[in-house]
Amino acid sequence: MALLELNKLTIQFGGLIAVNKVDLKVEKGQISALIGPNGAGKSTAFNLATGIYSPTSGKVLYKGQDISGKPPYYINGLGIARTFQNIRLFKELTVLDNVKIGCHSRSKAGIFGAITRLSAIKNEEKQIEEKAFQALKLMGLDKKYDEFADNLSYGEQRCLEIARAMASEPELLLLDEPAAGMNLQEKIVLIEKINKIREMGLTIFLVEHDMKFVMGLSDRVAVLDYGVKIADGTPEEVQVNADVIAAYLGKEVV
Amino acid sequence: MTLLNGLLPPYIESIAITVGIYIIMALGLNLITGVTGQLSLGHAAYMSIGAYASAVVSLQLGMPFIFALLAGGIAAGFFGLIIGYPTLRLTGDYLAIATLGFGEIVKSLLFNMPIVGGAMGLAGIPFKSTLTVTLIVVIIVIWMMVRVERSRFGRALLAIREDDIAAECYGINTSLYKVKMFVLGTFIAGIGGALWAHKIMVLQPRDFGFMKSIEILNMVVLGGLGSIPGTVLGAIVLTSIPEVLRFSSDYRMLLYGALLVIMMRFRPNGLLGGVDVTKLVKKSIKSITGSNFADKEKKKVKGGN
Amino acid sequence: MDFTSNFIVQLINGIALGSTYALIALGYTMVYGIIMLINFAHGEIYMVGAFVGLALVTIFKVHIIIAFLGAMLFCMLMAVSIEIIAYRPLRRSKRLAALISAIGISIILSNLVNLLVGPKPQTFPSIEKILFEIKSFDLIAGAQINTLQILLIIVSAILMIGLQYIVKRTKVGKAMRATSQDYDTAALMGINVNRIISYTFAIGSALAGAGGVLVGIYFGVVKYNMGMLPGMKAFTAAVLGGIGSIPGAMFGGIILGVIEMMTVAIGFSSYRDAIAFGILILVLLIKPTGLFGKQIFKKV
Repeated sequence: MALLELNKLTIQFGGLIAVNKVDLKVEKGQISALIGPNGAGKSTAFNLATGIYSPTSGKVLYKGQDISGKPPYYINGLGIARTFQNIRLFKELTVLDNVKIGCHSRSKAGIFGAITRLSAIKNEEKQIEEKAFQALKLMGLDKKYDEFADNLSYGEQRCLEIARAMASEPELLLLDEPAAGMNLQEKIVLIEKINKIREMGLTIFLVEHDMKFVMGLSDRVAVLDYGVKIADGTPEEVQVNADVIAAYLGKEVV
Repeated sequence: MTLLNGLLPPYIESIAITVGIYIIMALGLNLITGVTGQLSLGHAAYMSIGAYASAVVSLQLGMPFIFALLAGGIAAGFFGLIIGYPTLRLTGDYLAIATLGFGEIVKSLLFNMPIVGGAMGLAGIPFKSTLTVTLIVVIIVIWMMVRVERSRFGRALLAIREDDIAAECYGINTSLYKVKMFVLGTFIAGIGGALWAHKIMVLQPRDFGFMKSIEILNMVVLGGLGSIPGTVLGAIVLTSIPEVLRFSSDYRMLLYGALLVIMMRFRPNGLLGGVDVTKLVKKSIKSITGSNFADKEKKKVKGGN
Repeated sequence: MDFTSNFIVQLINGIALGSTYALIALGYTMVYGIIMLINFAHGEIYMVGAFVGLALVTIFKVHIIIAFLGAMLFCMLMAVSIEIIAYRPLRRSKRLAALISAIGISIILSNLVNLLVGPKPQTFPSIEKILFEIKSFDLIAGAQINTLQILLIIVSAILMIGLQYIVKRTKVGKAMRATSQDYDTAALMGINVNRIISYTFAIGSALAGAGGVLVGIYFGVVKYNMGMLPGMKAFTAAVLGGIGSIPGAMFGGIILGVIEMMTVAIGFSSYRDAIAFGILILVLLIKPTGLFGKQIFKKV
């Protein structure tokens, strides 16, 4: 059974069918990628998988459980974490607090815990801090824990997004254009980190624009064009697929 | 318990009690608007619910003040739940209008309710909010707010303020958290109202209109949205300055309006916004004593490494 | 009077009242459509319009039609200045900031008028002395409509048709629609977005100013705090019709006015204000896009 499965997934905004009957499987332990030209519906597919949109028809299955239309906080609790294409950090909070918030699903304390601060709560808070630092260290941001998220460089902000996602201890990590706006050097470092995360046993599903980035990294690649899946296979298979070349690679030869 | 009472001249003591009550009110609103970013324009309505509920408990049931105080908080928090549950799903702008409308409805209901004296008001409430009592409540509320802010719960509220969609994607049930937070904020407003009732001793519905809500909002905005020391400072400044300068209330409202516009334009984070007061204190301790107290604190934070 | 005629009378009263709500609601909806801000000061602009009209008629003794146009012009200029001073600098900051600034402006305006003319209601000279004699006409079942109501409804209708023309048929209107669709793209297409926002404030506020004068004529009194409640009701009307939708604001206003007068007619006049807020909260919970609003998808 695939870890994540999109089953004839469709969403319509007014007259526009942004994602049209897409079938897709993300296998456990692999790095899968979803590519396609601008406006092909890649990010929308992510938003459907994480509960921001409810599908018009079709299903999203996680470990065989139908999660379509479930609220995002619930989906995160199941073990799916994501990053955002247009960076949605908690800008006026510190780097450490951003990552601590990522731990939310894996901790419990409520209002009364906050006020009483019993020893169990203190312990939990300590664990949150430990986990947060681990996630920051993984992404190489532990020295900047005290900075405001807004003051980080663009590449660092993208890394912080991943650190925050990692703090929620997901089984499936969804990366929405993780390399966008990064220079070559940063991209190489990022590929290393993503491989490291895979070695930790996580499954990764990413949306990307940068073909080189995707081809070197992914086990499987699916191609979306105008909301329809036009190809699916290994990077080598997809690269020679005539439809893909026509829709996408024709303009941007790899 | 009565240590502080009578220590100051009566006029000053009275102002000090008022300042204390406004600190409590403003801290409740700071939680809602400053920390969580949900603009409430009906904070005075919850103050009035707390004031009237506590007055009724004191007058009709003759119960000790502590019960009146809690009754005020619980009554206000209960209404916070009823109003917050449907309206907090709305985005900021709609919430502002809905809370404003609710405030006006409460005011008109109080005008028409015989049990609380209607437009005539409710008189004969015993004086219980001494300086000592007020100060104790202020300290408890500040202590609570500091703990809430630096907790998993508080971080979730900050996340909602910064980006509610991202917050939702990181496991925070934003609607639920907003309602919980609103109940806590309105509970505190109710406590403040209860203290107010037992200080002023006469309650009239017209004292709790939109303008009172704006006055409290001003305190939070002046000190710094989301900053506890800032909110305390804002409450102190805006309560004591008009008392001392004896402004006519017309000019006072004009000033409040101008203050909102000017603060948003030039210092949207308030006088103390963005200033980490604890850090500042540690720094100054370090510079005075030359000890490495502040460094030790830092190491403790990094302990996870 | 039997039930039917009473019903018709209240219906007419409701439509008259509702037309004024519609005039104010248009300003809310236009501004919200373009900069996603609830212009809290809009109700106060309507109030200022009423006072400018009053001052022009009583102090400067001009003809009521001149006063009407003068009030519209004054409100236009005032709103454009307010936007430049209090909202424009905050356009890229958090939404909470602009909202608080708008509330500040609203408080400044109502208290400024309070200081200038005092808290007492001011009488608006009767229309009979300045324009025409009020006559009543019989409709069916003994119900009557008077010339004042006809005037109010007709002037409101003319203004709204004029607005529809501007928005649908002129270049400025096209630019407005483009800006409300996508602010940044409109700017890239060479639309001077700042100027379009100014136009939007100007047109919306001119309608509010007109509404103020009409209400002054209709009810005969104006007061410094007359802006807040109708402002909030007009906002409710805008939400009811679907915020951002111009026909929605018109229908929302009239529906709200009729519901309010019907509430009065069946004997719940003390709840007429509460009804509006009840409707607001209900609409927001059940169908937040209103009757005519398009469904909005959050961009992620």
